[in-house]
Amino acid sequence: MAEWLEWARGPAFRLAIALMILGLLRLAILNAVNIMNVLAHARDRNIPWKTVLADTAGWFFPYKKVRPQIVFTIASFLFHVSVIVTPIFLAAHIRLWERGVGISWAAIPQTAADYLTLIAIASAAVLFTKRASARATRALSRPQDYLLPLLIMVPFVSGYLAMHPGINPFQYNSTMFVHVMSGNVLLALIPFTKLSHVVLFPTTQLVSEMAWHLAPGAGREVAVTLGKENEPI
Amino acid sequence: MKTKEQPRYTYQIEPIELEERPKRFLDAFAAVLRHSNYAPVLDAYLRIRAKCSMCTVDCQVYQASGDPQDIPCLRSELLLSVYRRYFTLSGMLKAPLFDDFRLTDEYIDRMAEAYYRCTACKRCKYSCPLGIDHALITHLARWILAEIEIVPKALKVSVREQLEGDTRNTSAIPFVGLKDTCEFLEEELEEVYPGAGIKFPIDVEDAEYVFFPAVSDYLLEADTLMGNAAMLHAIGASWTIGSRNFDGIDYGLFYSDRMWERIIHDQVAEIHRLNGKKMLIGECGHASRAGKEGMANFIPKEDKVPVVNIMELAYEKFTSGELNLIENAISERTTYHDPCNISRKGWIIEQPRAILRHICKEFVEMHPHGTENYCCGGGGGTVSVDEIRKFRTSIGGATKAGQIKATGAKIVVTPCANCKKQIDEVIADHKLDVERKGLHDLMLQAIIMPNGQRPKPKPEGEEF
Repeated sequence: MAEWLEWARGPAFRLAIALMILGLLRLAILNAVNIMNVLAHARDRNIPWKTVLADTAGWFFPYKKVRPQIVFTIASFLFHVSVIVTPIFLAAHIRLWERGVGISWAAIPQTAADYLTLIAIASAAVLFTKRASARATRALSRPQDYLLPLLIMVPFVSGYLAMHPGINPFQYNSTMFVHVMSGNVLLALIPFTKLSHVVLFPTTQLVSEMAWHLAPGAGREVAVTLGKENEPI
Repeated sequence: MKTKEQPRYTYQIEPIELEERPKRFLDAFAAVLRHSNYAPVLDAYLRIRAKCSMCTVDCQVYQASGDPQDIPCLRSELLLSVYRRYFTLSGMLKAPLFDDFRLTDEYIDRMAEAYYRCTACKRCKYSCPLGIDHALITHLARWILAEIEIVPKALKVSVREQLEGDTRNTSAIPFVGLKDTCEFLEEELEEVYPGAGIKFPIDVEDAEYVFFPAVSDYLLEADTLMGNAAMLHAIGASWTIGSRNFDGIDYGLFYSDRMWERIIHDQVAEIHRLNGKKMLIGECGHASRAGKEGMANFIPKEDKVPVVNIMELAYEKFTSGELNLIENAISERTTYHDPCNISRKGWIIEQPRAILRHICKEFVEMHPHGTENYCCGGGGGTVSVDEIRKFRTSIGGATKAGQIKATGAKIVVTPCANCKKQIDEVIADHKLDVERKGLHDLMLQAIIMPNGQRPKPKPEGEEF
């Protein structure tokens, strides 16, 4: 098991992080090209930056949006905060970065990490239950929508168990193997699933604003392409 | 044109060619993607949509119908699925492996139904954490459907008359009819403001404002037009109606960018023929937005003129003191319905309210209102489709009926030709005890002319 863990921590992790970085880079570049393409073909290039930024910031801190679905929005917010903060600022993770590539940053206290981990697990469970328990969300959901919250729970549960040997019924190494591999899988999946919103989120409001900056003359060209330019309405 | 048995839609369309519809839909989709700006947006939406369900609580159609096809995110998925399957690399790679999605006749029928149940009110855009504009998808889907002739007859016939007919307006009012109506309205105004000589100027060159109301106002909303003319007279505006094009309606916004662009070009041509300076839109939500966004998107820089909604003008002159209004002229409790097309992005919200608070003894708000208002249920051109009235008032308009009722108001003001017709029908079908008015209908009872002349009160019970 020790060799397996080494493999998961070494080559498998490097592959996962490379896939994630290259995949996200590709998305970011495609997204930027798309945005510039729209602007190049639009006649109206005035972007109301203030509104776009305010809308984007409004969803970074969505306290105004809580009301309609209180449990869901609060769970969703807690989920995002804990899932982002815990892995990045966990002292044990930072030590790995320091050892591997020589960079480090401030960590959060271990107790805070423990609570955040529990919050991540609980909120993921709430999100999953919410999705499975209402007609509207069942109608909406694809397989990845059910699988991702479950998959995200795995590294948090296994990580928590690894940090608390007293309550861990499994061997340390096998727990760590599950922890590292599930993390690897998640990292690699980011660019290929809806998790890609980790890089696309900051520009989504801009994209929707630009969507209405239409290409002049497109209508006539469509008619010509379809052979309808002289057809009466 | 071959016609087989008509597909069954809940709205009426003209007879269409049923051969190879999926192929023709994809051809039209491909042409639109090639020449328009929509492909990058669809790409982005495909990557980020998270199916979070936040939009379900914000759509008044879904709230009333409970039918999953009305969930905004699911409705958008209809078109996005076609895009992914036929126009993206991943769709083409997945197809032979495990994706059985195929565009069929039945699927096109589902899209035709779903995209005309949506009122394109854009409310869900603001509840989407990822900012997906489902109204844009509706807008695009309708354009593609229109290119294979699936478009409500009411919209198509109107646009045909406006662009290619003899009268050049959606209500098919001949110019002589317009002139008669204007003269008649001038006589009526003479009774309200005797001796004031309020005119409906036609074809005056070099005027500051060329006036484009929803043309149906000339047939249905005499009080609104009289209020418009009285207000413009009171502020001493130089304005005119163009004899060749006097219709602000632009149904292209509802179903086809191709038509939208042609209509706004015709309107701007009339402004330049008369050497007018600005485009003045009457009380109409979609005409204001189609004018403003159409001007920005489609008109070359050298031909652009500012687009002004008449309420903006009234508000500006009211706050500067050039327009005097009688305080508390309206004694009944009054509420205001925000037309989506002018309120959703925060363009015109405060302007009519400032006036209403002044002229009404008791002004009350609906909840929610302003940028978060609920659509009347007839948005996106659906109000023109008489065949779906029952759906519009019982499902689409259910929320609005409840909102109006909750205010306890006796008058509901809405400055939009579409909302006016829809709210009239909602009031009738829900048997609400309330009267629907335009903003200028009420202002007509409150405008003080510069010489101090006040309107003569209407004889009791008389309706124009």
